[in-house]
Amino acid sequence: MSTGASPNKRRAGEAMGGGFVADPRPQVQADQVLGVRCAACGYPSAPAAPWCPVCQSREQKPASFGPGGTVWSSTLVQIPVGRWKPPYAIAYVDLDEGPRVLAHLASPAIVKAGTRVRIVGADEGGDLLVRVA
Amino acid sequence: MSNRNEVVIRGVGSSSYGRFPDRRVESLAWEAILEAMQDAGADAGEIEAVFVGSVFGPPGVATRTLRGIGIGGVPVLTIEAACASGTAAFHEACEAVALGRYSNVLVFGVEHLSSLFTSGAIVPEASDGEGRAGLPLPGLYALQAQRYLDQFGARPEQFAEVAVKNKRNGTRNPRAQLKGHAPTLDEVMSARMIAEPLTFLQCCPVSDGAAAIVVGRPRGAKGEVKVLASALASGGLWDHRSTDFWGEAPVRRAAQAVYAKTGLKASDVDVFEVHDSFTIGEILTLESLGLCEVGEGAALAPSGHTQFDGPQPVNPSGGLLSRGHPLGATGTAQVAEIVWQLRGTAGERQVKKATLGMVETMGGGAAGMEGNASVVGLMTLR
Repeated sequence: MSTGASPNKRRAGEAMGGGFVADPRPQVQADQVLGVRCAACGYPSAPAAPWCPVCQSREQKPASFGPGGTVWSSTLVQIPVGRWKPPYAIAYVDLDEGPRVLAHLASPAIVKAGTRVRIVGADEGGDLLVRVA
Repeated sequence: MSNRNEVVIRGVGSSSYGRFPDRRVESLAWEAILEAMQDAGADAGEIEAVFVGSVFGPPGVATRTLRGIGIGGVPVLTIEAACASGTAAFHEACEAVALGRYSNVLVFGVEHLSSLFTSGAIVPEASDGEGRAGLPLPGLYALQAQRYLDQFGARPEQFAEVAVKNKRNGTRNPRAQLKGHAPTLDEVMSARMIAEPLTFLQCCPVSDGAAAIVVGRPRGAKGEVKVLASALASGGLWDHRSTDFWGEAPVRRAAQAVYAKTGLKASDVDVFEVHDSFTIGEILTLESLGLCEVGEGAALAPSGHTQFDGPQPVNPSGGLLSRGHPLGATGTAQVAEIVWQLRGTAGERQVKKATLGMVETMGGGAAGMEGNASVVGLMTLR
């Protein structure tokens, strides 16, 4: 990984020396992930979707998800990626009654599928951080 | 569907694959196109449309390539479907011929990644939620691999066996990027860890290359390969409700469409070229193609079933793990390999029985979706 990637190569983002790129990640506030829940079918989305991707209802109510969740899978990354230095652990987490989100694990270690975790908050770069509950 | 025209592959060609920083991207495409046109016995004037697969371009690469070979004034379309871009272009060309829109279409895939990514994994897109959060492509596949270990009690060595198999096959492929050495299971397992459980030797290299296909109506020429069916399926939502691994559903959808059109099934296929950008990818793909039940795919390489001399060889070319993965070119390279296998001209890589050949490509990398697209094609010598 070239951490000095020049900005004309791809939309690498400011963390990689590129231009500003609007943040596509779900917003994190304290121990909650912000998003919406469909008023018609209850489908949770984070970040917010313009209409429900399941039932197409336009009525999307602001909602927050967390702090509890269950790990679907996790891995320990051993290469540098952007501002992240190895080793770092990432996981897909199914938030309780909420969406599946990608999260960084506070401890750099793999945890088994089904492990209960809890949102710590956003890290300094705005990434969702969870720890084993 | 009697009003559909029969579609054949008239000719194929490819560049070598590797890191060619000194080569102009067009020159890689020219090498592939020249071979495919000669193989097809086709003139530039016969080509009624050009469909191109490329992910990172550069923008305008299709038209700039055509400048050198005297094809112009016809529709030229570039299709991006991540790693499946080349096969998506191939599929659309087959459909256009089947539906009578054109009689001859030139398809090529081209990519020059060495001038974009100097070392290591591809830099994730900051505009994608998961790329922005630091998920590299090997990480996405590693998450599937870890889940697979947890869910089915598989062993990491079973993943590594896929790399041992495909890299051994790759030593017989003169165009492959990594053809020098067939690593042992110990070497694959002890290679540098990229994202657990995937080691360096379980990840495809970053590559430059091109491949080309002339698709058209049959002329009765020797070596024409009949496209029995091809299908393209995109991904739907991949979320907390999903019972699938990421990426499986588009492959299954495309495969089922091909089986429904032909009345054939996975067990009928003699030879496969499938998407093994990471070892776990080949395993999940073969399950999705219906070669075995979900959870049994990890046993296919260790049992010998998918080995070069096994009953259903998978990736005799060496796959992406050996050939390399010039994204947009990969699908067209897979088609070229299956054509050579069906004709019996694959040289040292020739498998014993090659009557029915299948190509599968999976394009991933869109947060919250099952994938960009998967293409599956089934072919036989006409």
